[in-house]
Amino acid sequence: MLTSDDWVVLELSLRVALVCVFLTLPLAVALGWLLARHDFPGKLLVDGICHLPLVLPPVVTGYLLLLLFGRHGLFGPILEKFDLSLAFDWKGAALASAVVGFPLVLRAVRLAIENVEPRMESVARTLGAGPLRVFFTVTLRLAAPGLWVGALLSFARSLGEFGATITFVANIEGKTRTIPTAIYTYLNQPGGEDSALRLVWISIGVSLAALLASEWASRRAARG
Amino acid sequence: MLTIDLHRCLADFNIDVQVECQHLATAIYGPSGSGKTSLLNMVAGLLRPDHGRIELDGEVLYDTTAAIYCPPESRRLGYVFQQDWLFPHLSIYDNLRFGYNLLSKKMRRFEPSQICDLLEIGSIQHRRPDTLSGGERQRVALGRALLSSPRMLLMDEPLASLDQGLKSRIMPYLRHICSEFGIPILYVSHSVAEILELTGQAIVLDRGQVVAQGDLFHIASDPRVLHLIDEFGFENVLTVEMLPEEGSDNTRLARCGQQVLRVPYCSRPAGEKLFVGVRAEDVILSLKKPEGMSVRNALQGKVTDIRVVEETRLVYVDVGCRLAVKVTPEAVSELGLVSGKDVFCLVKTHSLRLGPGID
Repeated sequence: MLTSDDWVVLELSLRVALVCVFLTLPLAVALGWLLARHDFPGKLLVDGICHLPLVLPPVVTGYLLLLLFGRHGLFGPILEKFDLSLAFDWKGAALASAVVGFPLVLRAVRLAIENVEPRMESVARTLGAGPLRVFFTVTLRLAAPGLWVGALLSFARSLGEFGATITFVANIEGKTRTIPTAIYTYLNQPGGEDSALRLVWISIGVSLAALLASEWASRRAARG
Repeated sequence: MLTIDLHRCLADFNIDVQVECQHLATAIYGPSGSGKTSLLNMVAGLLRPDHGRIELDGEVLYDTTAAIYCPPESRRLGYVFQQDWLFPHLSIYDNLRFGYNLLSKKMRRFEPSQICDLLEIGSIQHRRPDTLSGGERQRVALGRALLSSPRMLLMDEPLASLDQGLKSRIMPYLRHICSEFGIPILYVSHSVAEILELTGQAIVLDRGQVVAQGDLFHIASDPRVLHLIDEFGFENVLTVEMLPEEGSDNTRLARCGQQVLRVPYCSRPAGEKLFVGVRAEDVILSLKKPEGMSVRNALQGKVTDIRVVEETRLVYVDVGCRLAVKVTPEAVSELGLVSGKDVFCLVKTHSLRLGPGID
């Protein structure tokens, strides 16, 4: 059975992962559409920067986040003015996994939008729908299966995120200790194997549930 | 009335078109890659001309000098593409109402039930696009465009993906839309036969330039147009005058110059003049009037010219009007065809396609 500590870890992990999805998906849709449908100077550079977290060691990403958003980081004073603390807080964990998972979401969303036949959008325009309406009722609607895949990738990447999280927000019990960092902690304690194994099962259960839910939603979206 | 004056540079040629479409139905004819679709896209607002002006019924849709650009959703032009592009995520019911639902009540010219009856698609409304046949899909696409209450229909080879049987079943709907609802149609096609079923008015386009414009019967003898038509199999266009019905349910007689043609049955009144199309390869040349053959029509005439078109020969025969006949070089030498020779042109009744009337 799960202990109260397990519940805290699970609740925190889910919260971080869900916030991560809500942070990345809208941005990925906006940027994915821009990259899929438009040519502009510096497109390759933007594409490269977006994909950087995919190739950088997560620890490096985490350290860069600390340099930017840490208490003494570049944007630290501004964040303090808004009374928003990211470092050593679960919000920071969400940001870390969002940055690390963003390239995956962007790829899925961009591919989905690229696969929407532009002439389908042209038809909608000639039928009297403005660009914004076409975007939401045709483009996004037809790209929906890909968006669900993107959401799943973001969620799963967030559940598994370790390196950037532990570097940026450390491993504070009840505040930033998600499933991976909790397992790591238990394995470093004598006799912690049983607790670690419980979290391993939770991890498998949540991931499988997310996979099935996303698959179901994606198929539903494809059917219309 | 649609006035077009457009210029646009494309990858391998420039489009440079200045035309006025006053007739209810106008065809844009030309070989593939002549800029027909680009022209239609510019009228629809999907492709921006480099400079020019588009005016429909007194309203300026596009004008570079006055910096007017009306976006496609405000032009109220119905566009039917070669592929139907039905929204795969919507049912036929919702596809049909996509444009309709965006209109205010008083802007709506048609009701869905009326269009469904006209196009006979009422019974398939609950279905999804991927379960329909090609003909049904194209009818739904047409209905969807009509329900957006367009001021004009733009059609880009809408029948090209359908087989001949389906084509001839959809054409009557188009003629009906044109004549009953008075919606002008701009119809892009590279088939003279298809155009003739809808209209006699055509604009002929080649590499982005208008080479001829007007009555298809008159412009078809223009050498610049002939040159284009030859590439696709020459289609003869004859004018005939219907003779009174004579009791037969299967055929009618029509006068063509001084001679009489037996044409497929139609309910046109006697005295009406209309276009009849016949392909050059559907005509047989004979030195004698045939006997014991099923062919109904033998038009007497004189050879006026023989042209070499790649591996075949086009023999022009004056039968009161000019008729092109496609034969092999061997046939030319065996029959001893030369200018001035008397021949009979044999045409099966069902090789004759009746076109629209001549106003």
